[in-house]
Amino acid sequence: MFAAAGASGIWDWDIVRDRLYVDEAFAELYGFDPAAIRAGLPVKSFFSAIHPDDRPRIRIAVAGILGGAELFSKEFRLRTADGSIIWVHGRGQCQLDSNDVPTRFTGLLVDVTERKRTEERLRIAQTAGGVGTFEYIDGFATASVSEQFCRLLGLHPANVLPVRTINSVVLGDDEAIIPDPEQAVSSAIEPLLGEFRIRRRDDDAERWIARRGEIVSDGGSGYRFVGVIYDVTAAKDAEQALRHLNETLEERVLQEIAVRQQTEDALRQAQKMEAVGQLTGGIAHDFNNLLTIITGNIDTVLRRITATDPRIRRSLENALKGAERAAALTQRLLAFSRQQPLAPKQINIARLIAGMSDLLNRTISEAITIEILSDPDLWRAEVDPHQLENAILNLAVNARDAMANGGRLTIHAANICFDSDNPPPAGIATGFYILVSVADTGMGMSAETLERVFEPFFTTKEVGKGTGLGLSMVYGFIKQTGGHVDIRSTLDAGTTISLYLPAALVAAGEEPAQLDDHVALGSGSETILVVEDDDDVRAYTVEMLRELGYRVVEAHDPTSALRLLERQDEPVQLMLTDVVMPIMSGRDLADSARQLQPGLRVLFTSGYPRDAIMQSGRLEDGVELLSKPFTYIMLSERVRSLIDRCPHS
Amino acid sequence: MTREDVSLGELERDALTEIVNIGVSRAAANLRKMVGDQVSLSVPSIEVVTQRRAARLISEREISQLVAIRQDFTGAFSGRALLIFPETNSLELVRAVTGDELTAEEVLEMEHEALAETGNVILNSCLATMANMLRRSLTMTIPEVLRGDGALMFDIRDDMPSDGLVLFLYIDFAVRRRDIRGYIAVLMDLPALTILRELLTEFIDRVVGDDG
Repeated sequence: MFAAAGASGIWDWDIVRDRLYVDEAFAELYGFDPAAIRAGLPVKSFFSAIHPDDRPRIRIAVAGILGGAELFSKEFRLRTADGSIIWVHGRGQCQLDSNDVPTRFTGLLVDVTERKRTEERLRIAQTAGGVGTFEYIDGFATASVSEQFCRLLGLHPANVLPVRTINSVVLGDDEAIIPDPEQAVSSAIEPLLGEFRIRRRDDDAERWIARRGEIVSDGGSGYRFVGVIYDVTAAKDAEQALRHLNETLEERVLQEIAVRQQTEDALRQAQKMEAVGQLTGGIAHDFNNLLTIITGNIDTVLRRITATDPRIRRSLENALKGAERAAALTQRLLAFSRQQPLAPKQINIARLIAGMSDLLNRTISEAITIEILSDPDLWRAEVDPHQLENAILNLAVNARDAMANGGRLTIHAANICFDSDNPPPAGIATGFYILVSVADTGMGMSAETLERVFEPFFTTKEVGKGTGLGLSMVYGFIKQTGGHVDIRSTLDAGTTISLYLPAALVAAGEEPAQLDDHVALGSGSETILVVEDDDDVRAYTVEMLRELGYRVVEAHDPTSALRLLERQDEPVQLMLTDVVMPIMSGRDLADSARQLQPGLRVLFTSGYPRDAIMQSGRLEDGVELLSKPFTYIMLSERVRSLIDRCPHS
Repeated sequence: MTREDVSLGELERDALTEIVNIGVSRAAANLRKMVGDQVSLSVPSIEVVTQRRAARLISEREISQLVAIRQDFTGAFSGRALLIFPETNSLELVRAVTGDELTAEEVLEMEHEALAETGNVILNSCLATMANMLRRSLTMTIPEVLRGDGALMFDIRDDMPSDGLVLFLYIDFAVRRRDIRGYIAVLMDLPALTILRELLTEFIDRVVGDDG
């Protein structure tokens, strides 16, 4: 009954007489017979109800008191009469005689079970929540703290700490975990709200600690600060990271915009090039037709002229040269817009560059040493040989111009394999390539020049010395071939331009023999059908073919051409047709014609073939093309070789 | 860094606490006679720590300079005892034991002697009682007064390994109506601690007997 009420009992241990006297409440707690207590009990009864686990420790404490210790203050468990376990706090003192010899040990036993439970809950709450408590009484130099409080600050666990010790962990001068009482009380709203950066004493770690609490007035003049602290480092870090993100947002947006700007610029440049290419191609088409008429007619006049005045012949030859130069210019325009028809063949580049030796020696001054090297067993490349020659010559001329005071020009062909270990430059796939490098020891280029070097019409040469199309042409041609151009340059040290050309590892026949410069004549038994919508071009073409000895029939559009084919008495050996015509393209005409006459050989002529007979910049297999403007000799060669070719090919 | 072989069990710790309690009570009784005033004591907290940690424990709690009275003891177990308090308390203690009858100048003159004597009374009664409870005897040297920080008190020098162990008895003692508080520290080396532990086991056996 008493136990349940949180009762307290009194004991009086007579050391001299060796008897224990207790009151009724004590007897109730211990389960003693109330009648037996009056005469006193044997002293060992003091330990009888104590929980066996606590008994040794209490015996030691009592031994201390009997040995002369002043204070007994212990908490221990009792097993009560009804078998339940309660926590009690025993507090006692010794009375000494004049010789400081203990005579009596008296004390009070209080049931603290409820308080123990509350303490336990508080302790668990603090540990689990990472919350440390403090209580500071105004005017004292120390504060009561919890174990968790000490742990949060990295201090050795204690119940009481000097205020100065607590505040010494705070970084920064003005802050104090236990504030100055006057300051704290004067700030009316949440006076104990605060955050502190601290250096933990045990591991020197920097942490953020938050403090919350209340100022309690117990009615007197003094105050008590009761509060908690907890670690907010993680939240602070996150907050800081967020702020950093915010602060750098603008910078990151700018970066992103710059990247986008670059991409847009690149796209715009590509679109510009495409537009220029289309425009150029369109002009080239008409221009080539005109050139065909001009060169063709001058050609004819030259062959037939009987005039004795040599000035007439010279003037005509000059006019023809001018027309040829104009044709070369249109060719270059087509090249850089990647619209020139390429006729790639499997070739041996070693042989090709060796064959250029004479040409280079003639073009380049003696002050420059020329070195031409090829790796042995060089793979064959699938490339248009004439264009490659053009490209190398172009680069060699640039190299020459960069070495005004002499130097060394090295042209080197080598095998190269790109795989995961040796990744290819951006823009081309892994695989086998032939690297043709053209290196000089000239003045080199600045970074700014390097950036723009492939742009059409960009030139560092004096006005009139260069077209600015050379490198763009090389670039366009190599890209069209499926390769890659790399340029490296150091000011005053030289430039190396590397052309990567796809290797052809599957052999395909021998290179065709070079064309001879003689006229290949035809005969009247060979009929050629000429289809051309431009009357002048057609007239000129027909005239030349007749001059060569062929029988010629002509049509000014595909429809009439098909009609002619239908009622042809003798078979037509070859159809020569323009590619770009209104209503029906040369390509469609060829398909229809072959239905009427299977195996019909077709030679296309065009100044601007565009997509009509090309796939990705290359002529389709089996398609023969004669580019406009063409000369008498070119026409005779192509027509003869086509007619002579085996019918199945 | 508490080493496993000298760490005290719960009962050994309780026993040592009680023995120290008795010793300190006796010391307080003597101090009480000297100052004619009530002297209160906290329950001692006991730890076995390294010298470095003991120095840190003190300096964590006391930011100001310290004063210590040091006495070495030999016998069944040997070591060194220190009575430590903040330097600001020093004159107050002298004034207390001299009965407030001296002038400020006289207090200053007397300070060293008074401190040595007070320390001797407290440490002697404390250690003698402990030895007595453990049924052994100890001899103590003449007290020495030190001034400095925790590192000096615990003989911590940078050029020496300072992992020697300290039995650190942390007792707040306060003299009523006076701003006086302090600590008692007992330094023992490993062999001494081992002997102390054996003596504690004997003591426990005697007190708890067959009941334990």
